[in-house]
Amino acid sequence: MEEYHSGDEVAFSPDDASNVVKECIEGIVGGVDYSQNKVNQWTASIVEHTLTQLVKQGKPFKYIVNCAVMQKSGAGLHTANSCYWDTTTDGSCTVRWENRTMYCVVSVFAVAIAL
Amino acid sequence: MYDLAKKKAAHLLKKRGSLSSLSSHEVKAKETFAKTKDSISTVSYMEEPGHHDDIPRPAVQMENTCQLSPTRRFPVLTVTSYLQEEKYEPELCRQMTKTISEVVKARVKDLMIPRYKIIVIISIGQIRDQNMRMGSRCLWDETCDNFSSHTFKNSSLFSTATVYGVYFE
Repeated sequence: MEEYHSGDEVAFSPDDASNVVKECIEGIVGGVDYSQNKVNQWTASIVEHTLTQLVKQGKPFKYIVNCAVMQKSGAGLHTANSCYWDTTTDGSCTVRWENRTMYCVVSVFAVAIAL
Repeated sequence: MYDLAKKKAAHLLKKRGSLSSLSSHEVKAKETFAKTKDSISTVSYMEEPGHHDDIPRPAVQMENTCQLSPTRRFPVLTVTSYLQEEKYEPELCRQMTKTISEVVKARVKDLMIPRYKIIVIISIGQIRDQNMRMGSRCLWDETCDNFSSHTFKNSSLFSTATVYGVYFE
């Protein structure tokens, strides 16, 4: 997380993950307006692409990727998560993205597996 | 939430054409760490290096207890009881999301299912003629790992709660 695990290759890196997520979001919904017909497809693509990119990093983690896309209408949204895990090896990262017509919140949780 | 997010963004991110930022979720994450350090059970996994050599055998023994059946036990009542009469208010709901996620995590922990890591995600939003879609994908072992979720709605707010259980090999 924000603590740096020196020399620990297996610890989750939230910065790397957040870059992956941002690129995926930009690639799929960057520059488009909210569309009821397409939102289903967008959420599916965002989570699948993010998961694929994370897997390509080849790290020994199980991943959970959660994505919420919401139309901008002045309504508020709050998200919280609580995790019971090993804080030295597991981690999460949340990216909040918006454009003119919608919000997109993507959370990635990575749970280490023992090899 | 937005002020904290902006501070985090300034430290950690470069801005592009559309705004992107890390949510104050990260601040909450620190609170979570403090709490899990109090629970001794996470440390016990690190203290068993000998078992790593025997991974094939314990893994086979564990297969029997591997299957998680969360739907039966999802603490639905927690979510409903906290939110039944509430009207959406930003400050209240901000606290409520954090409280509910901690309470749900504690209740699932009380079920005492060994060797499982728990992730609880709660979202509370205002209803205002908008549409919203939430999706999630998981890369895990589907024989051992599972999730359960529940949504609740009243006249002014909606809430979704999801619990993921990940087996620790």
